[in-house]
Amino acid sequence: MAGPPGLPVHSVHHLENVMGTVVTIDVYTTDGRAGAELSRELATARALLQRADAVFSTWKPDSPVSRLRRGEITSAQAPAEVSEVLEQCAIARELSGGWFDPWAMPGGIDPTGYVKGWAAQRALGAFRASSIYGAIVNAAGDIASVGGLGHGTPFRIGITDPFSPGRLADVVYLTAAIATSGTYERGNHLIDPHSGRPAGRVASASVTGPDLGLADALATALAVAGEPGLDLIEALDGYEALIIAIDGGRRWTEHFPFAPREASPPLWEPAEKTARSSVFADSVFEDLG
Amino acid sequence: MRRTPIVITATLAGLAGVLAFHTTPANLSLGTLPGASGAAQAPAPAGSGGSQRGQSAGGSSSPPRSGPTANAPPGGTRTVVGPAVNYNFGVLSVSVTVSGGKIAKVGIASIDDGGRMRSQFIDQQAIPILEQEALQAQSANIQGVSGASYTSAGFQQSLQAALHTLGFH
Repeated sequence: MAGPPGLPVHSVHHLENVMGTVVTIDVYTTDGRAGAELSRELATARALLQRADAVFSTWKPDSPVSRLRRGEITSAQAPAEVSEVLEQCAIARELSGGWFDPWAMPGGIDPTGYVKGWAAQRALGAFRASSIYGAIVNAAGDIASVGGLGHGTPFRIGITDPFSPGRLADVVYLTAAIATSGTYERGNHLIDPHSGRPAGRVASASVTGPDLGLADALATALAVAGEPGLDLIEALDGYEALIIAIDGGRRWTEHFPFAPREASPPLWEPAEKTARSSVFADSVFEDLG
Repeated sequence: MRRTPIVITATLAGLAGVLAFHTTPANLSLGTLPGASGAAQAPAPAGSGGSQRGQSAGGSSSPPRSGPTANAPPGGTRTVVGPAVNYNFGVLSVSVTVSGGKIAKVGIASIDDGGRMRSQFIDQQAIPILEQEALQAQSANIQGVSGASYTSAGFQQSLQAALHTLGFH
């Protein structure tokens, strides 16, 4: 039932409710079969996401990170991932010139700005089956990926228009990861670590690069720092950034991977054979018209 | 039962009780959400000379254009309502309005959260995801959407505040 030989097939579309949001997992394969190996890998990816939620949730009172925030345990007493993430957060803080700082959040240390990307990147690592052309883990807009649509065709990712979230502002070729941060729509939620007060100097800041955890942290930092923060990103190998300013103007680093908006016809087999996870009930809407 | 091209994948479990589209791109028009065709063009990426840094002025977007509407189903505006499904806090159903073959509106058709005031939470969580999936499905040949409306530390802070407001612990 697969298309012509080599045509990628959209074999997995899974939505996982986790970390207070929805994480989508998409896998494109050579044969369109969501076989046992792929099923196991999906299960592993889901478990990694749920595990990250259980350990790092700041609103589940019993999570290790909640207990850490209350001073009930030390990071050494927390699960091993906590120390690993805090080390990475310290690196991200340095690379971002202090604009990303989980230690400066109101209410105590909060690695959330790193964890979602980290967890998605980790979940992506589960997909290793030889039949896979590419896989995408999209943590509610922060995206980790590997591969593409086959034959050197990269994934294309839209960036939400910050002034009209139902539209796309730009399209990029996804090399590995992209994270977007901003202050629009839900008001001003970002905290300036230098002042401890809400901040936000841009409408939207997107960062691409090899690792989603760091990209996530850098996007958060850039949204707070504004245009001067582009120099920080420019200095990092493999990372690129796009800022959409409050006035709608754009600034980007030299090699930001813009893609043409005009799309060629779909290159994958989209159809009915896509496997969906058993935790979801598939249903077709009845036409009431 | 007549079937629409829109297949809904409904989650039965989960914090947000999110419902989401799974659509078949080939069956959809290539247009975007209403008004979306006016989205700004990408700045020219490559071949921009020796410029160290790109930039474009605000308000210089290209004028709106209409996307092609291949395979648009016949007929005008229709609204379809998904089945009521259980989620962690109650029961809800989603409505989708299709106009001229494009998804024009996504909303919660009904929600019963046992009077626990969680519809606000659902609105905050589910609707943006639904819209994102709809946008993705209707935009030709993209495999994801990156956006800040429900991402980053800011989102988590907002979520935390909303949960507290709703008395969720």
